[in-house]
Amino acid sequence: MRANATIALLGQPNAGKSTLFNALTGLRQHVGNWPGKTVEKKEGNFSHKGVNYKVADLPGSYSLSANSDEEVITRDYIASGDADIVCILADSSQLQRSMFMLADYAGIDVPCILLLNMADVAKQQGKSIDAKAIENKLGIPVIPFSATDKKSYDVFYNALDKAVASKNKLNIEALENKYESIEGFQQICGLIPNDAITGYSSTWLAVKAIEGDKVVMAKLSEVLDDSVMAQIESIAKETKGAVATGGCKFAWIDDVLDNAVSKKSKNIKLGKLDKIYLSRVWGKPAVVLTVILGLLASFIPAIPPMIIGSVVLMLKAPIASGLAAIGAPHILTLIINDVVIQSLSYIIKMLGFVFGVTLSFGLLEEVGVMARISYVFDNTMGKLGLQGKSVMPFLISFGCTMGGAAGARVIDNWGQKVLTIALAWAVPCGAAWATIPMLATIFFGPGAVAVIVAILLIMLVHMYVTAKVFGRKLVKKQDRYGMIMELPPYHKPKWGALFRYVLGRTKETFFRVTKVVLLVCGIFWALSYSPAGGNGGILYKVGTAIEPVTKAIGMPWQLFLSYIASAVGKEGAIGVISALYSGGSYSAAFTQAMSGGGVAGDLNSILLANVTKPEALAFMFAMTFNMPCVVALAATYQETHSAKWTAKIVLYYTVVSLLLAFLAYHVGLLIW
Amino acid sequence: MEELLELLKDGHARTIELLAMELGTSPEDIERKIEYLEQIGSIKRVSMQVRKCNGCSGCSGGEQSGATPCKGCMPEDGFKNMGTMWEVMV
Repeated sequence: MRANATIALLGQPNAGKSTLFNALTGLRQHVGNWPGKTVEKKEGNFSHKGVNYKVADLPGSYSLSANSDEEVITRDYIASGDADIVCILADSSQLQRSMFMLADYAGIDVPCILLLNMADVAKQQGKSIDAKAIENKLGIPVIPFSATDKKSYDVFYNALDKAVASKNKLNIEALENKYESIEGFQQICGLIPNDAITGYSSTWLAVKAIEGDKVVMAKLSEVLDDSVMAQIESIAKETKGAVATGGCKFAWIDDVLDNAVSKKSKNIKLGKLDKIYLSRVWGKPAVVLTVILGLLASFIPAIPPMIIGSVVLMLKAPIASGLAAIGAPHILTLIINDVVIQSLSYIIKMLGFVFGVTLSFGLLEEVGVMARISYVFDNTMGKLGLQGKSVMPFLISFGCTMGGAAGARVIDNWGQKVLTIALAWAVPCGAAWATIPMLATIFFGPGAVAVIVAILLIMLVHMYVTAKVFGRKLVKKQDRYGMIMELPPYHKPKWGALFRYVLGRTKETFFRVTKVVLLVCGIFWALSYSPAGGNGGILYKVGTAIEPVTKAIGMPWQLFLSYIASAVGKEGAIGVISALYSGGSYSAAFTQAMSGGGVAGDLNSILLANVTKPEALAFMFAMTFNMPCVVALAATYQETHSAKWTAKIVLYYTVVSLLLAFLAYHVGLLIW
Repeated sequence: MEELLELLKDGHARTIELLAMELGTSPEDIERKIEYLEQIGSIKRVSMQVRKCNGCSGCSGGEQSGATPCKGCMPEDGFKNMGTMWEVMV
């Protein structure tokens, strides 16, 4: 029997190391821990042609840089010389990428062979690899191989036999030439003697010094003078570090593979849609237009519930006469009709929009348009002093501002986080998207479309101005890098999952909204109720007292109270409108209309009769850009940890929403 | 790789394909460099998972259990089709 030999298996995760190890050793393996570490140590043995081989399966890692225990254990084991041959595995199907381990290994003074694993996969991809050509450049055996294919093991065993005998080492001259392009590399090399640390060449150590490898630096400082170490550190600091050495390694890999790997050169082409979305000029308008179209499309599924909601109101008359017939008290009839039926009608109408808007946004996300939005606005975010990823909280805020505030947690800089949350407030949340289009449809009919577009555009301006107002104190203007993105390909939506999400969300909203609207409507109805009929309610007295002020902003007192309620939650505003415009004690004219039975049941006409279009417009803007809700307020405090900034944001939004209402009112007066 | 980072200095986002076009290389080349830059900490993958949302107005049940956002905030399992983003850490 010939002398024993030890081989070590080295490769990135998924390079096929385990498959090879298991195939070689079978049951003759044992698993333990590396001394003093929690890293698994796998060893085994096999014999071939009378040679007894010991196999060490080294921990899988991306490279040999000291990122964790795995890499340090791996390279220390190799450098110790315990292994006669290191088998480095690379994935043939992506050699450019997976040869990196070899490049990082280069300079370690231990013989090695390169296994081009998964040769079968590469073949299927139509790649042909000239192993001999690579072998000539590297100076070590290079073996096309497939760890899952028993037949390819013969070639491997033969190569191993030869390698153990010849002990070829990797030729790193070409790589060293690349490294020399890094200013200071040669100097550092000169400062490190070749035998400074056993097993490593001065080139390898110099590269790791440039990369800032702490373990290598600590070891070097044990053998080198402090002054030399200081010199190395100061030179390394002037380089681009790991970015520079990594660049050299990749360039070397490309040189090695040049003419050795046949590859079909593909022209990179952008799809038709991406040519528009990814364009510097057209990207933004295209994305905004897509979102607007999406929102408009959401009106279509909302039409049937709008009609059903109106039909529900027709129940008022039969219920009233039914209750009267069984002798129920008048107040019960009022409560059922003015609170319950009235609210229900609104809720049903709102659900149509919840369904429509959720479907639209879900669809935009599913087909891949949402991903393009973050792409398009990356640079804009930078101009506002924000990080590109701030787009995410904004997108979430279309659903729920609270979620947006929580989503802002991914931003590590406090100032940028506060600014992101402050801007997220301007994004109309799910509750706004349920109530505003519904009200807009009641007031403006098809004109609602224009109102929604206007709100969306004002939102963009609002966010821009808000960023300028708060940005000065919160973020420092600084140069920033753009993001790198991997955009998903456009694909057909999975309708099943999408509808489950949309219906689930509509259902959730139904329960929440029903609670809020009924409660608020009940309270406001009670406050406005006067047993004597007419205008006796408390609310009426308060309302008429403040009306001179609220009228200046463009809102009758009922709408103003509704605006106040919208600060608690946008749905709450609907409860107030439902209570104050549904009749009861609202006004004499109103009560008369109520007694008209079925006709008066049509709240739309009552609203239209009592609220002018400019007033409605003013209210819609006030409500949309009011603070999102009290829970969002609490979330903002929780995320910013600053009562001062939370208060500032609340005050700012209140003032701005009233200002926008004022402007909308006067614009409205010009139009109508 | 220096050129790649240099290019992003203008503050504009780029897709892998656009980077490959501008640098006259292949998407595969960009992908391996992204992997490397992520390893050495020069770039960081943006996490799109929103953690616990403490019962937003979208949660009918108030406080949600576990670390997942409520259905009201986001589709289940978060945004799945937003692709991947890396921010440059310098």
